[in-house]
Amino acid sequence: MIAESISNFFADSWLLWILLSIGSLLWWSGRDSQYFNYVFNRFVLALITLLIVSGIVFSLMEVLPGDCAEKYIAYKNTQGETITQADIDAERARMGLDQPLAIRWASWVTDLTLRGDLGFSCAKRQSVNLALGDRFWMSFMFCMAGLVFSYLIAVPFGILSAFTINKTWTDKNPQHSKTERIINSIGLSCQKVLDLVLRIVSYLGLALPNFLLALTIILLYVFAGESMPTGLYSDEWRNVPWFGTDGFSWGKLDDFLGHIWLPIFVIGWSATALQLQTVRALVVDESNKLYVDAARARGVDGVALWAGYPVRHSISPLFNSVGFDFQRVFNDLPIVAIVIGLTDAAALLIEALAMTNDQELAAGILFLVALVVISMNFFTDVVLAAIDPRVRKSVLGN
Amino acid sequence: MMINQSMNNKLLEIRDLTIDFNTDEGLVRAVNNVNLTVRPGEVMGLVGESGSGKSVTAKTIMRLTPGNAVIQHPSQISLQHENRDLNILKLRGRDLRLVRGDAVSMIFQEPMASFAPALRISDQMIQTMQIHLGYSKDQARHRGIELFERVGIVDPEKRFDQYVFELSGGMRQRAMIAMALSTEPKLLIADEPTTALDVTIQAQVLDLMLELREQMGMAMIFITHDLGVVSKIADNVTVMKKGEVVEAGTAERVLFRPEHSYTKRLLDALPHLEDLPEAPKHTPDPLLSVKDLSITYPLAGNGRKTEYFTAVKNISLDLPEGQVIGLVGESGSGKTTLGKAMLGAAPISSGQVEYFHTKKEVKFGAGMKIKRKRLAQTAQLVFQDPYSSLNPRMTVRDIIAEPLEAMKITKTREETDARVIEVAKRCHIEVEHLRRFPHAFSGGQRQRISIARALVCNPKFIVADESVAALDVSIQAEILKLLKELKEELGLTILFISHDLSVIANLCDRVCVMKHGEFVEEGTVREIFLEPKQAYTQKLIASIPLLEAPDKTRLRTGAQVAAEPVMESF
Amino acid sequence: MNALLARFGRKSKPKNDDSYYTAGQFALIKARFKRKTSGVVAAWILGTLVLMGFFAPFFSPVDPTIRGADADYRRGAPQVLYFWDDNGFSLRPFTYTYTKEKPKLDLSALAGGNLNALDALTSGNALKASSQNKFTVDKEQRRYIQFFVKGWEYSLIDLSVAGLDLDIRWDRHLFGVEQGQIHLMGTDEDGKDVFSRTLHAIWVTISIAIVALIVKLFTSLLVGGVSGYFGGRIDAILMSITEAVRVIPAIPIYLACAVALSQMDLTPIQRYFAIAVVIGALDFAALGRRLRTHILTERNQDYVLAAQLCGSGAGRIIWRHLIPSFTSYIIVDTLINFPYVILAETSLSFLGLGLTEPVNSLGVLLQKAQDPDIQQNMIWQFFPVAVFVFLIMAFVFVGDALRDAADPYSEKK
Repeated sequence: MIAESISNFFADSWLLWILLSIGSLLWWSGRDSQYFNYVFNRFVLALITLLIVSGIVFSLMEVLPGDCAEKYIAYKNTQGETITQADIDAERARMGLDQPLAIRWASWVTDLTLRGDLGFSCAKRQSVNLALGDRFWMSFMFCMAGLVFSYLIAVPFGILSAFTINKTWTDKNPQHSKTERIINSIGLSCQKVLDLVLRIVSYLGLALPNFLLALTIILLYVFAGESMPTGLYSDEWRNVPWFGTDGFSWGKLDDFLGHIWLPIFVIGWSATALQLQTVRALVVDESNKLYVDAARARGVDGVALWAGYPVRHSISPLFNSVGFDFQRVFNDLPIVAIVIGLTDAAALLIEALAMTNDQELAAGILFLVALVVISMNFFTDVVLAAIDPRVRKSVLGN
Repeated sequence: MMINQSMNNKLLEIRDLTIDFNTDEGLVRAVNNVNLTVRPGEVMGLVGESGSGKSVTAKTIMRLTPGNAVIQHPSQISLQHENRDLNILKLRGRDLRLVRGDAVSMIFQEPMASFAPALRISDQMIQTMQIHLGYSKDQARHRGIELFERVGIVDPEKRFDQYVFELSGGMRQRAMIAMALSTEPKLLIADEPTTALDVTIQAQVLDLMLELREQMGMAMIFITHDLGVVSKIADNVTVMKKGEVVEAGTAERVLFRPEHSYTKRLLDALPHLEDLPEAPKHTPDPLLSVKDLSITYPLAGNGRKTEYFTAVKNISLDLPEGQVIGLVGESGSGKTTLGKAMLGAAPISSGQVEYFHTKKEVKFGAGMKIKRKRLAQTAQLVFQDPYSSLNPRMTVRDIIAEPLEAMKITKTREETDARVIEVAKRCHIEVEHLRRFPHAFSGGQRQRISIARALVCNPKFIVADESVAALDVSIQAEILKLLKELKEELGLTILFISHDLSVIANLCDRVCVMKHGEFVEEGTVREIFLEPKQAYTQKLIASIPLLEAPDKTRLRTGAQVAAEPVMESF
Repeated sequence: MNALLARFGRKSKPKNDDSYYTAGQFALIKARFKRKTSGVVAAWILGTLVLMGFFAPFFSPVDPTIRGADADYRRGAPQVLYFWDDNGFSLRPFTYTYTKEKPKLDLSALAGGNLNALDALTSGNALKASSQNKFTVDKEQRRYIQFFVKGWEYSLIDLSVAGLDLDIRWDRHLFGVEQGQIHLMGTDEDGKDVFSRTLHAIWVTISIAIVALIVKLFTSLLVGGVSGYFGGRIDAILMSITEAVRVIPAIPIYLACAVALSQMDLTPIQRYFAIAVVIGALDFAALGRRLRTHILTERNQDYVLAAQLCGSGAGRIIWRHLIPSFTSYIIVDTLINFPYVILAETSLSFLGLGLTEPVNSLGVLLQKAQDPDIQQNMIWQFFPVAVFVFLIMAFVFVGDALRDAADPYSEKK
């Protein structure tokens, strides 16, 4: 009996214990290590930010019309019961919705920190955790894939752009012979044109609204007479298990990849423009520093110079912004998801906000996104403080 | 035999070097028709002020000119390498490594900025040796540690694997030297290698370079603006001004029998310990007195307990009216903090500052509020950095008028303008320049603006915080002359803060020496420079790079004696 | 090529003028900006688009509202301008008279309750989308383009909203045809001229962005300024809130607010401002944070200390020294942010939560482009998309060049 209540107690508050033990572990290690002291401070800061985020998200959802009681009663209404205002009020009192905002928020946060419980979705009439299921992970993977895609394009092109930024179109060095000058001028012009084209292509990703881009691609499929790459799978593969009777189903994988490239491509491309600008600015900044000249004076040249000096020194600030990049990519995902007909968390978010006014679900999704961003920021800060001497110097002060 | 060899050998020969810069205002000539020859084992001192083209010339030897530089015909730089004459300006691609590290290497002015911050010193050094000498990693590492030891870095194995910011200023420059020597170059270019260092460390680094040169016998181009430093190290001296060579010859001839007026002017700026100014007969009454002043800063919060740094420890000081008092110390000695505290710009944790002979009482300290307006009309500051101390978005007139307008001293705009013009004239600023923005001015002119701003509300006391440190020697002399003039005409009391003892010797009546926030010694200029009592002051005075007699130089560096007669036979 | 020309042009300029010395920060930024060829080209395109948007009534030949809709030319294709045809050459460009075929509907039969007629109508081609686009071109009837034609009356500059009694009305348009209307980019399903609508939409969208950016600037300045200047605890609190706002994705928040707005009873004008304010007010995090850092660094500059020692009070220091130090920065940042704000507006419109028909905004016109009917049968309604892409690209390239040219005092040499 006692054992059971203890296990219940822990089952109901497992998340809190995890958080507390991580915190105390960090605090303990931080007693005589500056680094862990920093990690501990960063951890506490992340928790505080999360708390503020939950407050903002929760109060924001208040502006959505309707509340749980109304929705519940409305549902009953469709079942043929007659409803009065008194019924709604009674239902409100039962759900605790007559309490002030602060108290409801406190209870939501408490549930969250104790058990990771995101509340109950009235519109879906099931718990938010259940309603989300692994859809959030799906969105997460889409964003990450989109992010990787945009980095793959933005990083090399940004470096190239930085490389050409201060170059002239023609070589007018009197020390070069005439043929040399012509050859160099052609080379320089090619670089400049390439840079311009690449920049136009990557900025097009920003300028073409992503819903139109997705639509256009789908349209092209329609015109070509192929089946549209909407959703995750085509109909024939939807219900085929991954591990069928004859081993792993490669056909399903093929079908899956044939579908998911579209959202990844669309959100990745639109994120590219900003990434490219960031990479370009960072590399240009670093390449103007004296140590690059000093390395050149030591005979370091070509790829070794660029990769080892300005580019290498731009990696940390770029890595540091991964969290916010994720947030920016997620920003674009909902609309793309709707156009393409995905059923991930982003699409659920739009549904919850714009159609069913499902405050709990929307708050849950927004909170999870913020959680991912904050954890990424925490993670990058901690990693950078460990590996980058410049960051270590600035945050640890030695 | 040896002489013959050196006769034929010219290690480096620059002929008719002309470089233009492609700027917004069209082509600007940076280097004009420069000729220069360096023989094996010779130290060539390249002297000039900022904008004289000395750094550009040196960088051209390594083909490191910035992208907008145009090297004009018929410039030629040839380098003797493996008994062949190589035209450096015609080198392409991989061949450039020959002048970048292989036969020529360079020491930069700022060691902190010239090492990559996120790479270990060891990695950068090993990479260099791998490129040029083809060493294996272990070999290079071994050699690197050896070099670190040789340049006098304590605990070389540990330091070798550190990052540049973990070393102290002197150590950084030593590491830079070790890096430059790692490829055993024939020619070492040192671009103001000691300028950013404190005097005592500067002396140590100079000694090290002399010693290394003696052992390794490479040639050196030593770029500096300081003739004192040059006299210690160079065999031959070339003086440059505005992109042209104005004087060249042996160190002895140029430094002791200068022909060009510009060289003479540069030499005049050096301290002359033989004729230091006479101290005034009697010490006037103090204008301000500092009592038991301490200043403590909390260090940027790390760790759980806050640590404090005491910049100034319990200092008491009286400043006599109408004199120029020098405040000397190395970086981190708390001299700037003390100066700012006198102006109420530093947090005083205990003690007080009191001004005498003012219209209204000016007194502040720990627990006492500063009456800013009264203080501002009594004491003003002339900043170190003439660039950041002037708001780039205001015209010169607005900058100078700032105190008048902020404290509403003048009633009308006409009155303000009249006062601004009066002060501007006194500080030798042309009246039509008042409409311009600060970016149109050079450092010296900006410093004049800064002085004019300080003087516009008729203060009695001025703190000049390293006010000439960022300026060239000849400009320094002009500003110092202006300060002296103002002192005489307006009866100003000036606290002149500087790390540069030669400036102090030329300007001040009295000198205070500080170290680690504490007073070391105080006295008249003669007392401090000629009969220093404290060991620290003695060390400081001994480190001043004074002109040294040529025979002394010869004694010190036996290696280049062989080269000397050659020069004379020319 | 342009770079080359620009280079030659610069060389020939007299060197000895005083302008460099008396040039303030904006003159210096301008000088540096001019060196970026792609930025200059983009700036010209941008300027043209914005100008055409601002004086849209003048540049558009047809009234874009339902009043000007051409009931006889619904779903009409673009009308091409010609200089010559079989009938000869004309210096004045002309177009032909286009007439729609009236679908032959036997309404009388329908009125009689004949169900077969209804069947025939629905199964026949008459109501099919593609057939509705059919029109005939009367090549004999040329319509010559006229310049500065008299058309519907509009207000060229209307400052009466700002409380001023200034409302310049005019009725001339840059071009038009003698009789009927000209539809350079075709018409939509109501017969509204796509070209004119697009021109009007540009300014609506840009003005939303301007309002949003002003609101954003205001909130950012407030948050960043207070945080940076006072520091300490206020700074810590404000910055942790900013940090929290920064991690929540913005579009869902706009959405929530837009949903809340849609519940309220607002006129289109109010709705328009409300959306701009929402977009602007919630976007303070990034700029506010940067302003704070900027103030913190700038506050420690020597010239601020100099001002303090000169006896300047806090107000004077903020007003005379700190604010001028980041005006150029703010302007550049604002320009760079234009495309993002415009994109936010279009995203909301796409979901039907921003502006809606019959308002002309690029978001509304873009939203229409997702209609399969338009995609398949009225491809000319993609004209606003092209304009939109041009507008955004121009903004981004101008922003890029400005970023490179910004802060002329950054290089200290």
